[in-house]
Amino acid sequence: MKNILIRIRLLVFACLLTGCDISVLDPQSKTADNQAFLISFSFALMMIVLIIVFLLMTRFVWKYRETEHNKNTIPKDIKGNKKLELTWTILPILLLTVLAVPTIAVTYNQSATTPKATTQDDAIHIDVTAQQFFWTFTYGNGKESTNELVIPENKSIVFHLKSTDVIHSFWIPSLGGKTDVLPEKELVYKIDNPKKGTYDGKCAEFCGVNHTKMRFTARVVSEETYQKWLTK
Amino acid sequence: MTIPFFGKSIFVPSDIIAAWILSIVLGAILFIYVMNKRKWPLIWEYMRTTNHRKIGTMYILFGVIFFLRAGTDALLIRLQLAQPHAAFWVFQQEKYNELFTTHGTMMIFFVAMPLLIGLMNVAVPLQIGARDLAFPFLNAVSFWLFLAGAILFNMSFFFNSAPNAGWTGYAPLSTDTFTPSVGNDYFVFSLQVSGLGTIFTAINMIVTIVRHRAPGMRLTRMPLFSWATLITSFLILIAFSVLSMGLYLLMFDRMFGTGFFSGDTGNPVYWQHLFWIFGHPEVYILALPAFGIFSDIISTFSKKRIFGYPAMVLSIILIGFLGFMVWAHHMFTVGLGPMANTFFAITTMLIAVPTGIKVFNWLFTMRGGVVKITTPMLFALGFIPTFVMGGVTGVMLSVAAANFQYHDTHFVVAHFHYTIIGSTILGIFAGIYFWYPKVTGKVLDEKLGKWHFWLFIIGFHLTFLPMHVTGLQGMPRRVYTYQWGDDLFALNLTSTIGAFLMGSSMLFVGWNLYKTHKHGKKVGNDPWDGRTLEWTVQSPSQENTFEPMPIVKEMDPFWYAKVSGEKLRTTNNTRPAPISVNTILPFCIAFSLSIMSLGMIYTWYLLAVLGGASAFLLFIVRSLTDERKAYDLKEGHSNE
Repeated sequence: MKNILIRIRLLVFACLLTGCDISVLDPQSKTADNQAFLISFSFALMMIVLIIVFLLMTRFVWKYRETEHNKNTIPKDIKGNKKLELTWTILPILLLTVLAVPTIAVTYNQSATTPKATTQDDAIHIDVTAQQFFWTFTYGNGKESTNELVIPENKSIVFHLKSTDVIHSFWIPSLGGKTDVLPEKELVYKIDNPKKGTYDGKCAEFCGVNHTKMRFTARVVSEETYQKWLTK
Repeated sequence: MTIPFFGKSIFVPSDIIAAWILSIVLGAILFIYVMNKRKWPLIWEYMRTTNHRKIGTMYILFGVIFFLRAGTDALLIRLQLAQPHAAFWVFQQEKYNELFTTHGTMMIFFVAMPLLIGLMNVAVPLQIGARDLAFPFLNAVSFWLFLAGAILFNMSFFFNSAPNAGWTGYAPLSTDTFTPSVGNDYFVFSLQVSGLGTIFTAINMIVTIVRHRAPGMRLTRMPLFSWATLITSFLILIAFSVLSMGLYLLMFDRMFGTGFFSGDTGNPVYWQHLFWIFGHPEVYILALPAFGIFSDIISTFSKKRIFGYPAMVLSIILIGFLGFMVWAHHMFTVGLGPMANTFFAITTMLIAVPTGIKVFNWLFTMRGGVVKITTPMLFALGFIPTFVMGGVTGVMLSVAAANFQYHDTHFVVAHFHYTIIGSTILGIFAGIYFWYPKVTGKVLDEKLGKWHFWLFIIGFHLTFLPMHVTGLQGMPRRVYTYQWGDDLFALNLTSTIGAFLMGSSMLFVGWNLYKTHKHGKKVGNDPWDGRTLEWTVQSPSQENTFEPMPIVKEMDPFWYAKVSGEKLRTTNNTRPAPISVNTILPFCIAFSLSIMSLGMIYTWYLLAVLGGASAFLLFIVRSLTDERKAYDLKEGHSNE
């Protein structure tokens, strides 16, 4: 199943634009992988709907178009058709149920929460402070970095997000979805098992004059390098 | 550019100077035209009218003018985003923020809303056999309040203080701590003034449809555009009241030091709740009337009654109802918790069901019919695939965990343009082409109309289809540039080219209007072989319609009368019609309220008190006027 989905993903997007890499669909962590799965899965389901509508429409418009021949006929009146109407009520409900199951599963797992709810001991906790227009990351040992996030690979990383002014949004497309960074309220967002690499991070909630420039770099490194970097 | 001003020199950006010059030149040309053609009596007549068709015409006229302005904003946005690290004219940073704020706010409140309300004004009374709206005076007040709000909003730009917190005005960015200039006060007051007008319209439409239908026009026989208007009006009544409250609180936060949306006691998320409890139903307020328009058009040009009428009505009601239960799907990332996220994901998915029913019913209306592809029908045919594409991305967005990725990116920008342009704007175009003869007595040129359609729809898909991909590539919305390394250049350039195609299609609209009025011939009552009552009255509709009043026996009464070769039965025994008057009071009320708003915005409280007092005085004058008296006297006189 998953292979098919990946193939669909590749087929549609790759032929659409060869050469571009779509970071959200090229996930580099478990978290982002689950999200990419949901995106492809819902996309595939919805393509079914889209194709049916397109086909029916093309057929009806072509077959019943006005011609010299039928110009003056008055078509037979049809008020409706119970069976057909029930079909296009029930089938979508079934389709949506199929979509709802993984949606609920992943959403329950991934939704940002308040600090109390997360008690995973082996996770790495990092405080993220957003301010117009830069990011400050504070690590367990008190080390701080600005606009550069360094995390170890294959761990669970728990971000404690807080803003000092307006609402920002914390987003590393390759590693996971976004979470808003609110003033006066701490939110917690977890990214599982990131892979090694350097990724772009950005503020996704419009936050003022230099919102565009509020970007940062996320470096995922090996455990060793991470420890070294922490004590540097 | 710096210009001297009373001994001081002030900085004015060059785009504003350009706008001043352009406005003065256009204003002068318009003035000379009006002088030469001696149009003053006409303008004076329209300023005092309470007739539904004339008010509808003014709504449409100004809606189109603001469409051109907000569309220009869109083109400027696309020019700035055409290539990485672009520095187009002045539109970076603050200027860019103002640009997308005015684009969004104007398109929703001063383009889509008035154009739809204009079409409702023109068509609904004629469709249901009403001689006017239930409260003609109130209708005029609604219109002038809308125009006052819109002009107020536009003024801010000319004084270099356009709002800059996005059309969503998220707190705390929109509070005085972070945006101290008067721009967002303009936002608050202009929406407040025009919103009041919209609420009045809703009340007016509900009473009209409930009270003033022709004899025999049961709710179960009512055309779907009228049905959509009825449901939409209920949505407006609730949603705009919530917006009004939210804006009221924001006003206190900005001007009087309260802290509803910031600080220890307040919470910025409260604003988001209030805004989206308004904002999501607003989406359906924009979409449902368009659905209604398409239902009537598809049925007319397939020469068949609408397939599954009861299901169509029921799904409008269901969409309206569910529309109030999904607002937090705009807030999946603000940490409402897994429970809330799941709940709103499911309710959002549910909306797809009634919407799907409508789509299939439209398709099956065409099946077995004779599909005549006129310009309005062409827009309807363009609507179905376009809107379904917006619908399926809507379902994709409802998947909460995936939404963490889509949220606030160009994917979302693509989605809501597919739904709003796909339904509302295409619906408005279709409606304008369809009912144009009822407004002016002429049918717009078909050939140019088709040019307009094809350029617009091709440009549209070229603009917004690539945005799905740029969004997934990591392009957030509301950024004024991107980097070479982001790999976004080719797709953004495509979008820009598409936007200009869409823009150029409007030239054909201008050409079409010119050509139609110069060379077009007057048409009869029924140029499209219509089905409903509006095609029984003259084109353009006269001021005393439905004398005598038709009696309705079934759905699409005019069509079945034509098919059976009989005339519609009529009666003279009808409910008293609303009384039309000529009065300048509505204009004065709106003017007073905008003076009051200006006073508040610039904290010149004396001016505010003056404006408020004047509005209050006018209310009293209005309360003491009873046009029925004069009318009864006249009637009595003529009976003697």
